Amino acid sequence: MFKKYLLGLVALVALLTFVPTAKAAEPHYIITTDATYAPFTFQDKNNNYVGIEQDTMAAVAKREGFTYTMRPMSFNSAAQLVSNGQADGIIAGMSITPERREVYDFSTPYYKTGVAWIVKKHSKIKSLADLKGQTVALKTGTAASEYGKSLQSKYGFKIKYFNDTDTMYNDVSVGNSAATFEDMPVIQYAIKNGMSLTVMNANNPGNAGSYGFAVEKGQNKALLASFNRGFAAIKKDGSYDKIVTKYLGAKQATFSGSKKDNSSILGILKSNQNALLKGLWQTIKLTVIAIVLASLWGVLLGVLGISEFKWVRGISTTIIYLFRGLPLMVLAFFIYIGLPGVTGIKIPAFTAGIITLILNEGAYTGAFVRGGFEAVDRGQMEAARSLGLPYGHAMRKVIMPQGLRIMVPSFINQFIITLKDTSILSAIGLLELTQTGTLIVARNSQGFRVWAIIAIIYLIVITLLTWLSNWVENKIK
Amino acid sequence: MTEAQNKVKVHVEKVNKSYGENHVLRDISIDIAANEVVVMIGPSGSGKSTFLRMLNQLETPDNGTIVVDGFDISDKSTDINKVRENIGMVFQNFNLFNNYTVLENIMLAPVELGKMDKAAAEKKARELLDVVNLADKADVSVNSLSGGQKQRIAIARALAMSPDVMLFDEPTSALDPEMVGDVLEVMKNLAGTGMTMIIVTHEMGFAKQVADRVVFFESGKIQESGTPEQIFNAPKNARLQEFLSKIMHA
Repeated sequence: MFKKYLLGLVALVALLTFVPTAKAAEPHYIITTDATYAPFTFQDKNNNYVGIEQDTMAAVAKREGFTYTMRPMSFNSAAQLVSNGQADGIIAGMSITPERREVYDFSTPYYKTGVAWIVKKHSKIKSLADLKGQTVALKTGTAASEYGKSLQSKYGFKIKYFNDTDTMYNDVSVGNSAATFEDMPVIQYAIKNGMSLTVMNANNPGNAGSYGFAVEKGQNKALLASFNRGFAAIKKDGSYDKIVTKYLGAKQATFSGSKKDNSSILGILKSNQNALLKGLWQTIKLTVIAIVLASLWGVLLGVLGISEFKWVRGISTTIIYLFRGLPLMVLAFFIYIGLPGVTGIKIPAFTAGIITLILNEGAYTGAFVRGGFEAVDRGQMEAARSLGLPYGHAMRKVIMPQGLRIMVPSFINQFIITLKDTSILSAIGLLELTQTGTLIVARNSQGFRVWAIIAIIYLIVITLLTWLSNWVENKIK
Repeated sequence: MTEAQNKVKVHVEKVNKSYGENHVLRDISIDIAANEVVVMIGPSGSGKSTFLRMLNQLETPDNGTIVVDGFDISDKSTDINKVRENIGMVFQNFNLFNNYTVLENIMLAPVELGKMDKAAAEKKARELLDVVNLADKADVSVNSLSGGQKQRIAIARALAMSPDVMLFDEPTSALDPEMVGDVLEVMKNLAGTGMTMIIVTHEMGFAKQVADRVVFFESGKIQESGTPEQIFNAPKNARLQEFLSKIMHA
């Protein structure tokens, strides 16, 4: 019976995760991007991915006759997935640098850019020299951050790193950091759309360069050639310039919704209803599957941990030690970004996320399950065995029911931790509740209101989960 | 012990057991016949409980031979679970299954091992509850019982498998004095039915009344064995004499 449930669950996970992505006729590619990078890529008020890069990619694909799946995530993950072959190409405001040319092949540049340095409006900072001893906010892995870092020793400032553009801007606008470095068009768009920041070197951008579409070095030559041909064509017939004008000339409200929609919690809730529900659903899906599978895996580890055989106990102890010791995010990156680089097998982000949760939460579960079984009096096992019950029968009929009862509070605790831990998986681009919040804030800059909404949704779900668990606990007793 | 059924039920030959430096059993050899009631006495740590627990392999000997019911349980290829089905055991701390009612405790093994269907097992369980005078406790949780009641349920649970040997490991040691009588009464009646019984106990009065043979353990050795009259009235071994004088004056 146990096995049947397990099989069913495995099938369910497979169904939910391995959504077919390949169509036979046209070439299909997986493209990664960073959706917190307006005006190049961001989510509009209808939660569609738009921007100069998105429209360009769509136009190129149409001309060249290929299809693609766009995977939004943090810039760093987006870049790594391409460099290790998990994705085919990246279009994410990636500056063409000599270092990157070692790892990627770039298209013809699609946008000329340079690095701006930016302070809060009405800031006392007037020159780079004023930054001595101050904190500067930088985004990990970007060319602008490299440029900022190269000035660090000269001007003597401290550096604080962020994973996405919007949090970094907010850190400067609320005064936590004194300044930031960012690509010129991106910051100009953000300021135009109401971010209270000032560019200090508008006429003199640092490290002038260009954005390019990139593929892994030596791979995906057809895709790169397609992009170059298609881009040349839309540049020539003027449609590329129209795209640029569309985004650089438009007002914020065009893409991020009216002021009314964004200035109240209700307005934000209403205008982002679908995105929030989708994010919530993804979080719940991750949580439920992870809770069920991690519990099964954890109980198995716990049972192995009290086995009659020393070597079996050793296996359980080692697995628990290993996966309890690894931070969840490291494990997620290792499975999603690290492993495929070696094995060459692509893992969908959802599957990678589930595996991560099973291994991590399962290890914690295994530890308290083993403890719970050990807490059952030894005499219970001896009595069962003395009646002729084999070890497995005795475990199932006598030890496990008593041990599991001891463990119920620990299980409830672990379920709540699992729910919260799903938010860490936003790092590998899973569009769950936290990542949904990140994208909304990137568009409307309403950090306080959006994160308050997200926090309340988490609290509601956790409350429901606790009620459900307590109800089950009472049923058992 | 009837001479007609002089069949060897338990055969033990040169059994040794050590826990690290501690040599708890030394060259133990003994034969126990069918229908015999053997009582093992001796000071704490003399090895008598360890010996008893070896007879159903809750402990394994370091060497030597143990044959129960014709099965060599010191041989690793013997299916110990099959042998245990015929050996009932009663523990000092009762070890009733806390997650079941009284009736379920008694029914669990016969049903789980496919010896009986549920209806038959329940009928047998109720009969056994009558035998131990606890028919009214069938559906209560075991945690609501007194120690004496628990131990009588434990005896009923062991009997549910229809064993032909019963092992008792200090069955009255954890009981309040006023409870001891009820449990000994049940055991006495059981002995009267011809059950082969091996009992570790400190109840000397019970040993005198019920035992066919009394075995004295000391320092991991059988120092002396014989009829209750021989052991209690004419002890030869100096250590046995010392042991008896100590407990009689306590």
